[in-house]
Amino acid sequence: MTAIQVIENPVLEGTRRALVLVEDRIGHYPEFREFFVRQFALDTSGLSRPGHVRAPSGMTYALVFIGRSGEPFPDGIEIYALPDALEPLNDPEVDADLWVLLRWMIAGVGGEWRVEDLEATGRLYTLPRRQ
Amino acid sequence: MELSGGALRFPHEQWPYEPKFKKVNGWRMHYIDEGAGDPVVLLHGNPAWGFLYRKFVKPLTAGGRRVIVPDMVGFGLSEKPVREQAHTLDGHIANLTGLLRQLDIRNATMVSHDWGGPTGLGFALSNPDRVRALVIMSTWAWPLPPAEFHKRIFPWRMMHAPLVGPYLLGRHNALAGRGMYLSVVDRKKFRAESQSVYEDILPDPGSRLLTWAWPRWIPVDESARGLARFEWLERELRKSKLPTMLIWGREDEVFDHKTFATRFKDLLPHAEGPELVTGRHFLQEDSGEEIAGKINRFLDCIDGRHS
Repeated sequence: MTAIQVIENPVLEGTRRALVLVEDRIGHYPEFREFFVRQFALDTSGLSRPGHVRAPSGMTYALVFIGRSGEPFPDGIEIYALPDALEPLNDPEVDADLWVLLRWMIAGVGGEWRVEDLEATGRLYTLPRRQ
Repeated sequence: MELSGGALRFPHEQWPYEPKFKKVNGWRMHYIDEGAGDPVVLLHGNPAWGFLYRKFVKPLTAGGRRVIVPDMVGFGLSEKPVREQAHTLDGHIANLTGLLRQLDIRNATMVSHDWGGPTGLGFALSNPDRVRALVIMSTWAWPLPPAEFHKRIFPWRMMHAPLVGPYLLGRHNALAGRGMYLSVVDRKKFRAESQSVYEDILPDPGSRLLTWAWPRWIPVDESARGLARFEWLERELRKSKLPTMLIWGREDEVFDHKTFATRFKDLLPHAEGPELVTGRHFLQEDSGEEIAGKINRFLDCIDGRHS
């Protein structure tokens, strides 16, 4: 599997939430907020449930959307890995999963935001090579 | 970075200075305070800390000046808030104001670079009774237009985009590492001498939050946060009669001198310069001693001292 897969009702029993990435200001560029609203129907589901995705490593991630009074929803996102409850994270795997998730997000935001530019930015800052 | 005798310090042969701390706006703010005389306040920006001015301290104190180098809250040995909402332009100006008022700084020369520009000039223009001169390097003080560099998706806007910023600049420390490396002229020397210092002072993703929060405060259109503050900065700066010197890196590609130093010269026609030195955006890394010498000569002239 090389892509992000949105999943409904994942099995959460026996897992824990491990915080791996926090974004306090998802609407800095509003098209990013709009992508998550579209992708997870947040205009109707609101705060009722997180979004879940499965990443290339097989790990499920929960996307928890944050609301702040006076700001459009969502205002922030917390991304949690859902590993087996008592197992440590495999950091390189998580890092690679997050990169694929960013690619998925940029492709979904679209318009002037291009995956090629994300890849080029990653290369400029010499991230480890990823697929 | 270590705790020694209860005090946080960063032991380094080029940074032998006694760390000092004040509480400002509820945050722990670190600074060094060396020498005696009229104060020179050296202000860094993103993602640096006081270490950027390590080659300034001895020449300026030897020139009969008191040198104060604060670390912005969020950088260096200052407290590093972990929520983006803790960082606002006005808040950072107020942090600097809180520190310099606690130290009862008067007759100060404000040396401003990068985000040390809007914050240091913000302090100077709102506390004119405490400031006697300005030195301005590779920064800006107006709302629009942004630098061409700041309009582009690749790499600037992509680097701090939602979730991308916390990933690249947070998890991978891209700005303090590769970002600074790309913004000096002598990269080999920078890598050998100082790159690890800028990386190590931001050891964890959570400690790097301001590296992607500050880029989001650069106005790129009329809807930007902070636009009114930048309008005020430009308006007030145009009225300033403070002796001013402009110093720019000849090779600066971010705030190129032909655009940015020229606009400061238009705002402050009486300013000396721009004095061009070898340097990209972090010109202090390539020309630290030379810039310190220029500041000494500029202030000697104001003081009527002649070498």
